[in-house]
Amino acid sequence: MSELSTGTHHSAAASPEHVADPIGTDAALEALKHGPRGALFVATISVSLLLMSWLAFYFILFLPRGPIG
Amino acid sequence: MADTHPDLLQRPLPDGTVPAEVVARTEKRWLGVMVAMLVVMMAVVVLTGMTNAIHPPSNVETIDPTTLHLGGEFAESNLGTAQERDGSLTVRLIGGQYGFAPDCTKVAVDTPVKFRLTSTDVIHGFLLPSTNVNTMVVPGFVAEVRTQFTRPGIYRMPCNEFCGPGHHGMWARVSVVPKEQFHSLAPTERSSCVQQ
Repeated sequence: MSELSTGTHHSAAASPEHVADPIGTDAALEALKHGPRGALFVATISVSLLLMSWLAFYFILFLPRGPIG
Repeated sequence: MADTHPDLLQRPLPDGTVPAEVVARTEKRWLGVMVAMLVVMMAVVVLTGMTNAIHPPSNVETIDPTTLHLGGEFAESNLGTAQERDGSLTVRLIGGQYGFAPDCTKVAVDTPVKFRLTSTDVIHGFLLPSTNVNTMVVPGFVAEVRTQFTRPGIYRMPCNEFCGPGHHGMWARVSVVPKEQFHSLAPTERSSCVQQ
C-alpha cells in the first residue's frame, strides 16, 4: 500500500491489504472513456438475479399453489 | 499509466469524463433493458393468469354484521368445516377483535376447500401460509377463497390486517389431516378442533 492510501485516500476496508492503490485522474479518465462498463456489468448481474428469482418464485411457488378465487 | 498528478485524484471526477453521447447511449440501452424486463413479467402474469384462470378473490356478497349470531349461515352451530355432497369441504369462520371463531378447524388433505369468512367489527385479514390464500375480511361482506392443501399439518392462520391493539394476538389454526383420518371422524369432530 502506498503512502497515498494513508494520506488523501480513504477506504472502508477492514484490512490494509484489501485497499487498492489509488489511481490518478488520467487513469480514471482512461477507464471511463467507453462508459461505466464495470457498473453496467455489476448492474446486469444483479438485475438478472432479481429477474430469475422473481420467475423462480412465480413458477415454482406461486403457480403450483393454484388459484384461490 | 501516464498520470500527470497521481497523487491528486480529483473527486468527483470532472464533468465530461464519460462523453455525453456515451452516457446518453448507456442510459437509453439500460432503459430498454428495464422495459424489456417489465414486458416479460407482465406477459408472464397475463398469460398464466388467462390460462390458469388466476384472479384476485372477487366474491361480492353482503351480509348484516349485526345479526350474524341470530341465525343463518354464520350462526354458531354452522361454523367450522362442513362436507358438501361432491366431497369438497366448506369452512365457515367469523373474525372479530381479536380472534377467529372457531380458532381451529380441521380439513382433509388433497381435498378442495372453500373458506367463507366474515367479520363482526372491523377489517381483518385471512392468510394461510404455504398456500396462495390471502384476503381481507370486511364487515358486511362475505369473503370466499378456495384452496387445496397438499401436505398434512398444522397451518397457522394469522390476522394480517391491523385491526387494533390486540391484533398481534389474533390468529387461529387449520389442522390438515389425511383423508382417511378425516372421514373416520364424527361430524362434530370434523367441524372444529378447538377442544383438541
